[in-house]
Order: sequence, then C-alpha cells, then structure tokens
Amino acid sequence: MKRISFKTLGCRLNQYETDTMVSEFHEAGYEIVDFKDEADVCVINTCTVTNQSDQKSRNMISQLTSRNPDAVVVVAGCMVNNHKEILEKNDRITYVVDNEHKNNVFMLVDSHFRGEILHPDQLPSDIFGYQTVDKSLHTRTSIKVQDGCDNFCTFCIIPSVRGRAISRNPVEVYENIRRVTENGFREIVITGVNIGRYDYEGLKFENLLENILELPGDFRVRISSIEPDGFGPGFAKLFAHPRLAPHLHLCLQSGSDPILLKMRRMYNVRSFMNIVNEFRRLYPLFNFTTDLIVGFPGETDADFAQTMQIAKEAAFSHIHTFRYSVRKGTRAERMENQIPEREKAARSSLIREISESNKVDYYNSMIGKEQTVLVEKILKNGTVQGYGEHYLPVEFRDPTAQQNTFLKVRLDSLNGKGLLGMKL
Amino acid sequence: MSKIEIQSMIAPFTVTEVRDLCEASYVVRFSKRDLNFRPGQHLVVGVLGMSDAREYSVYSGRDEEYLEILVREVENGVVSKKLRRLNPGNNLEVNGPYGFFLTNAQPPANKKLLFIASGTGIAPFHSFVKTYPDADYTILHGIRTIDEAYEREVYGEGRYITCTSRDEKGHFHGRLTEYLKNLDIDKEAMVYLCGNSDMVFESIDILQEKGLSNSHIFTEVYF
Repeated sequence: MKRISFKTLGCRLNQYETDTMVSEFHEAGYEIVDFKDEADVCVINTCTVTNQSDQKSRNMISQLTSRNPDAVVVVAGCMVNNHKEILEKNDRITYVVDNEHKNNVFMLVDSHFRGEILHPDQLPSDIFGYQTVDKSLHTRTSIKVQDGCDNFCTFCIIPSVRGRAISRNPVEVYENIRRVTENGFREIVITGVNIGRYDYEGLKFENLLENILELPGDFRVRISSIEPDGFGPGFAKLFAHPRLAPHLHLCLQSGSDPILLKMRRMYNVRSFMNIVNEFRRLYPLFNFTTDLIVGFPGETDADFAQTMQIAKEAAFSHIHTFRYSVRKGTRAERMENQIPEREKAARSSLIREISESNKVDYYNSMIGKEQTVLVEKILKNGTVQGYGEHYLPVEFRDPTAQQNTFLKVRLDSLNGKGLLGMKL
Repeated sequence: MSKIEIQSMIAPFTVTEVRDLCEASYVVRFSKRDLNFRPGQHLVVGVLGMSDAREYSVYSGRDEEYLEILVREVENGVVSKKLRRLNPGNNLEVNGPYGFFLTNAQPPANKKLLFIASGTGIAPFHSFVKTYPDADYTILHGIRTIDEAYEREVYGEGRYITCTSRDEKGHFHGRLTEYLKNLDIDKEAMVYLCGNSDMVFESIDILQEKGLSNSHIFTEVYF
C-alpha cells in the first residue's frame, strides 16, 4: 500500500481542496500518513497571499523533500500560479500543479505509479471538479460555490493566482450538499474566494443561500469569509433561519476611509458599520470576526487610530491581523510611503490586544446562554469539545456524547481558549 | 461539470493609433478582437513581450470597433513611456476586462448621474457617454489647464463642467472640490467618482455633508 502525506497552507478553500484529495486517495486504497512521517507521495497545497505564506510554502517544500528524498512530491496551489517557473526548475519536485489543474492530483500520482507520466497542464481543467469529502476527516466540510475574484484590491495577489470570478452551477452545489450530508456531515461551510459576488445566470449569493437552507437533511450552514460589498437587501434576514449559523467573518482590512480607498475596497467604514449594526439590531448576539491589514502604504498614526477605534466599536470577537507585505504585480507595490517593519509589528501587537479583549467581552456576554454544539472531539476523561452555532469553542462533560451529533449546552464560564458549559 | 471560462485574454492586440491629447496625455487605440466590456471597466495593458503592465480604464465606447485607453505619461513611469513610443502595427498584451465601476449606472437604471473626475479619471465617463449618449448625466472634470479637457465635444451641451486650477479657461477657476461645495445636487442622483484618492476622499466628505446617501456614491481610484 502506498503511503501519502498532505500539507495544507492558507485558506479554508485550500483546506477543502486538500480534503477532497485525501478522500480520493483514501478511497483508492492509499494509506494517509502524517506529514512528518515517511511517505511515498507528499502533496503540499501552497499559499501565496503574503510574503510569509511564500516563505512557509518554500520551507515546507524544503523540509519535505529532504525528509522524503525518494518520494513523489506534488506542489500545488496558489504559489504555483505565482511562481510556476521557479518551482518547475526545482528537480526535487515531481509535479507542479496550478489551481486550474489541482483537481487532477490523484490522476497524476496514480498514473505515475502505473508508469504513465502525465503533464499537469495537459489534463482537463475544472476548478469545481473535486470529489466529495469523506466524513472521516472532520465534522464539518466546505462546499465550494465560487472561485476567483474580480475586485482587484490593490494589495492582493489572489486575482492573479485564482483567476477571474466564476460561480458554480447551483445544481452542482445542491448535489454536493446532498452527497456530503448523506455521508454524515452535520455542518457545511459555504466557501469560495469571494462568495458575496456569487452570480450564476442571475442567481445571486443570497438566493443560493436561501435555496441551500431549504434542502433536506439534518445539517447547519456556516458562511466562510465574506466581503462587505456583495450583500443583497435580504441577506441579513436569512440569518433568522435556525439552520444558518449566526457568525460572519466580515473582512474590514482597515478602519480608515482614506486607506480603504487606497486599498480599492468597495465600501467605506460607515457602510461597513451599517452592516454590523443592522445585524446586531436583528440578532444582538451575532458574532463578527474580521481580517485587518496593518502597515498598508501611507497608513498614518491617525489612520491606524481609526482602525483601532472601529475594531473596538465593531466588537469583533477575533481579528486576524496581517502585516502588510508587498506582493509583486499589485498596485500597492508601486505605492509610496511603505511602512517600516518595526512599526507594522507594533501596530499588529496593538490589534491583537484589542482582539483578545473583545473576545473575552464577547464570551462573557454569552455566559448563561444556550448553544447547540456540534461534537467534534471526545477526550478520554469524558470532556467533550465542539463549536456552538456562534462559532464559540465549547467544552463540557458528557459520558454518553457521540461525535458528530448536536447537543444543547448552557454556557457557564470561560476557560483558557473558549467556554465551559453544561449539557442540557 | 463546470469548466473554467477564460474571459480574459492574454494575446496580442495590435496598435492602430497613438493620439496625443496634450503634452502629458495621449490615447492608444488598438484592435478590439472579441473583447467585450462594460463602460467603467478597466484593462491591464502592457507592451507585448515586456513584463510590466498597468491598469487603464477603457476610454472608447462599448460599440466601437476598436479599444482605446487614455494614458497620462508618468515621470519615471515605465509603462506609460513605452506605450507612447508605440507605432501602428506594434502589439500589446491586454488582459481583462475587470471591475464593476459604473455597472449600476447603465440603462435601464435610468437615474440622474453625476460623474466627478480628476485628470485621466475622465476615461470611464468618456466611455460611458460614447456608449449611452442619451443618459441623464453631468460631468465635473477637475484639471490643471483647459488643454486637459480632452475631446470634450463628445459631451452634450451643458453636461460637461471643467474646473481648472492653473488657468482661468474652465467653467470654474479653482479646485473641483471648491466647485462641488457650492453645487446643488439632487439627493436622488447617483454619484460616481474617478481619479486620485485625495480628490475622491475629499469629494465623498462633501457629498455626505450635502446629505447624499452612502449607497448613492461609487468610486474608482487611480494611482
């Protein structure tokens, strides 16, 4: 039996695409081993969104090829689209597979062991052509509804590596959901590069979501990261549906309007806060998390102070903070007034402090409330771990709990990383 | 199964004309091939075989048989200098179209439109007016001197207002934002701003002070 290991870097979409590959190899009889173990095949699904991501991807490739000198090494994903020629010159990599051909990794490797060497670029390209994820991997699975982005934010390399925005046929989406829920998944995460821009022959994102919420099966729906510029008028109301998890990772990037303009974001602080306030008016406990970039070219102390102010006001329970890094080929690369790394680090640290403080406040506000927890893990001592619908990590004790079931829990107190509760 | 539809094209487009408009600005006209765009969208354009490319809003109308971009030659610029030296028959690499600017201004939207531009930020509005000459629009164009009022005969009578900061030959002598402060604006109008970020940012503040809703203001920033 061939042994295969996987390493995924970057976003939820990448994780989903790796999960589908894992499922495909597992079904075909390959033994899935840990990335640190010796393997016959090693697949690295790379990320290139920041310089740090490139560096991590390079390190992984280097570690893996050193540890497995005789393995078939497949490097796939966004870094390939950004640095294909360099990667193709690396003799230690067997196959360099871009995003458009990533759905063929199984075919490439399996053919390889049958003595047939295929070139990735000559295989059919299908960005939605991924197999259904096997339920043994996680309790929740992503459903890819969209790929690519046409927004062209000035800092972002993603349109160059993921391509133009393209929306998946909704019939395929519904069928995919039917298959994964039949496989036993109880939570699906709607995923894409810019899902708010979903548009399939006039069917917009909120129409798609509305249809998904009415599909048969016992599952709940979560939305992955979303931009604040693609909402229709009925989007907020959809969250009244008991199946739709009351959490959004709504990307702010900056709390300063001049910086948002320079980033070429398609909203301003006021319109962003209008969304937050409208959701909180309808659903007071709604959980917002976000991404912020600190140290964008030209970001003054005053701009950053506004960002801190909004970070507090919006009460994001988690802020994923990025220090701005120059991406070649983006408009921001040519901007003046680049911010020194030391200043970026200091700003990043301040945002992390706000994030932590917001989290504690939010979690405290949830004490005494009920959550429906999807059981992910049961420890030997009987402690059950999972996430509530507000995307809160919850622990409680229940000797009879079973993995991948929904249980009602009352939240009692904070522990180190999340909340402790009592099964109801 | 869904297949990737490659809408953007990385393929040569042939230059047919480079037309000087003033000392700093010029228009590059090139073959359209089968590239379809909506007014307001932009292309990424470079000289074929060279690695550098830049984003330019389309200047020509949607239904014209060619594509045009309006370029300001940038001091120490790489691409803008190369493009100006092109001759008919030279090839370009063109990728696109991209963007959503002006998408909701197009018929049948049938709204009163206020277009606010600085410098070459006039390009998407020029494209829009060439495509929809009967639209109900007013353009405010902030320029330094009147020779930057490029090809203004395209615009309907009374629909194009120039604000010149360095000569007195425009409709208003001074900065565009000064003119905007004293302008009566229909609060139901849709306002589109295109140009440098300082102008866009300052104008948004003025528009909001005048009571325009955020949802009626759209921007495209040039760098």
